[in-house]
Amino acid sequence: MEAYADGMKAIAPELVLTALSLVVLVADLVMRGRNSRIVGYITLAGLAVVAGMLAMRVGDAPQTVFGMVQVDSFGTYFKLFTVASVAVVTVFILSDRQERSHGIGEYYFLLVGAAVGIFFMVSTYHLLLLMLGLELLSLASYSLAGFHKGERKSAEAAMKYVVFGGLSAGVMLYGISLLYGLTGTLELDVMATQVGDAMPYGLVPQLDYDVVPVGVALVMVLAGFAYKMSVVPFHFWTPDVYEGAPTPVTTFLAVASKAAGVAALLRFIGALFMTEGVQPVVEWYGDKIGLLLAILAAVTMTLGNLSALRQQSLKRMLAYSSIAHAGYILIGVATLEADGFAASMYYMAAYYFMNLGAFGVVLYFESTTGSDRIEDLKGLGWKAPLISIAMVAFLVSLTGLPPTVGFYGKYLLFKSGVDHGLAWLVFVAAANSVVSLFYYFSVAKALFLNEPSSRPALSQPLFAALLAVLGIATLWFGLRPESIETFVARCLL
Amino acid sequence: MDNLLNLITFIPLLGMLVVCCLPKTATGLIKGVSLVATGIPLILATQLYFAYDPALGADGGYAHVLNVEWIGVIGANYYIGIDGISLPLVWLTTLLLFLGVPASFNIEKAQKAYYALLLLLEVGIIGVFISLDYFLFYVFWEIMLLPMYFLIGIWGGPRREYAAIKFFLYTLAGSVLMLIAIIALRLDSGTFSIPELVALAHNGQLTGASLPGGGELLGMSFYTWAFWFLFVGFAIKIPVFPFHTWLPDAHVQAPTPISVILAGILLKLGGYGLMRACFPILPVAFVENAYFLGILGAVSIVYGSFVALGQTDFKRMVAYSSVSHMGYVLLGTGALTIWGTDGAAMQMFAHGTSSAAMFLVVGVIYDRAHHRDLNGFGGLSQPMPVYWGMTTICFFAALGLPTMSGFIAEAMTLVGAFQSGDTRFQALVLFSVIGIVITAAFLLWAIQRVFLGPLNEKYKGYPDMNFREIFCMAPLLFLCVLLGVFPHLILDKMEPSITHLVNLLQSAAN
Repeated sequence: MEAYADGMKAIAPELVLTALSLVVLVADLVMRGRNSRIVGYITLAGLAVVAGMLAMRVGDAPQTVFGMVQVDSFGTYFKLFTVASVAVVTVFILSDRQERSHGIGEYYFLLVGAAVGIFFMVSTYHLLLLMLGLELLSLASYSLAGFHKGERKSAEAAMKYVVFGGLSAGVMLYGISLLYGLTGTLELDVMATQVGDAMPYGLVPQLDYDVVPVGVALVMVLAGFAYKMSVVPFHFWTPDVYEGAPTPVTTFLAVASKAAGVAALLRFIGALFMTEGVQPVVEWYGDKIGLLLAILAAVTMTLGNLSALRQQSLKRMLAYSSIAHAGYILIGVATLEADGFAASMYYMAAYYFMNLGAFGVVLYFESTTGSDRIEDLKGLGWKAPLISIAMVAFLVSLTGLPPTVGFYGKYLLFKSGVDHGLAWLVFVAAANSVVSLFYYFSVAKALFLNEPSSRPALSQPLFAALLAVLGIATLWFGLRPESIETFVARCLL
Repeated sequence: MDNLLNLITFIPLLGMLVVCCLPKTATGLIKGVSLVATGIPLILATQLYFAYDPALGADGGYAHVLNVEWIGVIGANYYIGIDGISLPLVWLTTLLLFLGVPASFNIEKAQKAYYALLLLLEVGIIGVFISLDYFLFYVFWEIMLLPMYFLIGIWGGPRREYAAIKFFLYTLAGSVLMLIAIIALRLDSGTFSIPELVALAHNGQLTGASLPGGGELLGMSFYTWAFWFLFVGFAIKIPVFPFHTWLPDAHVQAPTPISVILAGILLKLGGYGLMRACFPILPVAFVENAYFLGILGAVSIVYGSFVALGQTDFKRMVAYSSVSHMGYVLLGTGALTIWGTDGAAMQMFAHGTSSAAMFLVVGVIYDRAHHRDLNGFGGLSQPMPVYWGMTTICFFAALGLPTMSGFIAEAMTLVGAFQSGDTRFQALVLFSVIGIVITAAFLLWAIQRVFLGPLNEKYKGYPDMNFREIFCMAPLLFLCVLLGVFPHLILDKMEPSITHLVNLLQSAAN
């Protein structure tokens, strides 16, 4: 009973979040569309509570709860950023005047539900719970993608997402079942380290017999992570879903959902290849997995950047850009070293700032122009200067130019790459950064390099303030990145 | 704590923030604030210049040094200082940006944004010149790119968008190569501090041994690729043939004051970067490739002058003359002699003044005629005698007439290259002399086409240069003449630091 109560206390943030989702759903039913903004505010309040609970837990000793949930600082890091992203997305929904007010509770319900999925996904070493969290996130995401029921694009996005997501989840589940068959356990930390008597089917003895099944299983599980992170060749859903889904949902997918994939991948790789006592696995598979991840990184960033060059739709361009960024993040993972992981975690933090801001600006311009085509932005920079300058800051950060947080993240990734024998990959990434400048600045070009638009700009001061804060944060953390760096260091696996 | 350098660097930033807070209709106030924000650094820099004791540079020392921890996690410090090489360039920056403000007074569109970006640009440029920490150097280096993109792209000519993005892409490509090299140097040596890196290199301790695989990349050894990556990054800025193709577009499309700053000081960042942060840190690779660099320099000189000869657009001609003049920098440094490097450093300053003046010259006539076709002018000496006189002085400075600073610079460079005792370099000098002749040719031909001959009726009523235009050009021409007659005013300050640099490089040759 004691253990049960302790366990419940440990997963209190998850419980509160689940309760919040239900409260939001009921509140919307009760309001009956009269005062839908209140539902949004309830969501924000609940998220603030969860954030507070999480903040108190940073630095706590890791503990395993119910044999499945791993409550540690690494998970708390990603959970905090997830809560922040869902909060910002909620503000986006609140500011979107074109969003319907009737039945908006489902929107928040699905978002918070997806967040619950993320919470469990990032805080477990047990593959079954990982699958459950991933599926919860995915199912909520499918519905969110198709949330604008009347729009053809939205429905198409949802359909494609379901099909692709189902396929990827199936492949991953098969890989997990293979791992179970080979080792007899679903717990990653046990799987890697247990040898001999206590665990007759540990991964290590398997290597003496036959390396192929283990390899196949690992690759299939990696496929599932690749799908969530939009890594080539599992990225095909990203452009269509990002373009078709409502912009706040796109923001959520691009930021929180991708981060969940990164976190789960870091845990997976970390548990299997970087824990002590797994020497044979590291020796045989370690550098191969590292090489595989490095090649995936190179292909992903190149394909993402080259495809983004020709995009006319802003959301589609940002979708391809997020594919490219998944490639950059993989550089840190591919090093299979602690500083590489730390660099990836730092880059995720930078990525949150940059992308939340960029998609927020997209949402703002979508409300103003009614479309998300880049050419419709012409001259709007002069009409909405504060937001456009913030957009330039985000674009500069996405390209990786100093003195922004995006540059510092890229610097850390490049440094870890060069330090661990991936200098060729760093070279590819550097070339890609230059290519990405072109399409990021096509937005800046449209905004500022044309005559001022005749279209009036919407005045949304609160929204502008939020974007200004994100913009300033992008610059501030580029000049003084230590706060995030120490945070990462405390939360490292 | 000695704050002089900090003040010079960040007062423009303060000015920029003030300008941003002003309403966009208060154009007079905006211009006034900009004048003050660029004028104060000029005064401080002048004080800095006269107070600088050259003897400090004799053993590679720096003045007004400040070294505080910035990002402790990666070992990047806010490490600034000034020596004989950067001192004249810092002063030139403050001068050109101060003159750039009145030169911009006839810009009508979005003035608040313009002056804010201009002030931000100054911060970046001065920051590069005073940085002694490689990470800080890189951050300041990149900070310059964004304002330039907007300054060219918003206030430029008809093809400004193309020119702006071309400039940005080209320079960024060089910069990311620099970044990889900087990371590798940091990992190999454990420090970002440029003086420390130079010392380590001098002791032969910077060999890439600490990097995985001995620092090999793309089949090249650490020494080789680090040198070439850094070189390409800086060479793009200089610009050296064949990395110069961004320059004509950027210069021609940029508005006059921006061309002035681009030619006057931005190009010098490349030459300065090589002398400060590339050659002394990788001296062995530099010495091995010095002749090739000399070839690039000589080719730039001759190629730039020939292409300039063929231009009909006034501004494009001046742009290519910049390519030609900056070739002397590489030729002089590659020769590994004190006179050669002295000449190269002086050429940076001399070209800064003469080229800036040349772009102002083009700006004057473009403002009146709204075209730059050299063949479309004629006889302008009649309605605009003051303009004729100043342009002639300016062009004589550019072609390196004795009594002008350009002559001292080019002469020292060529003599220094000849002195190197290497017959190959002596052959390069003979080849480069062609460039001098062709430069004189196109400049004098331009004067003939624009000013002499029968007056084209269209231009009869053209007003002569007004006070503002004379105010912008006169100081530059005065400097050209002053340093041509009294070159010791600048050479005295530069000499010890340059001697130290050349000794460092020559010792690596052994």
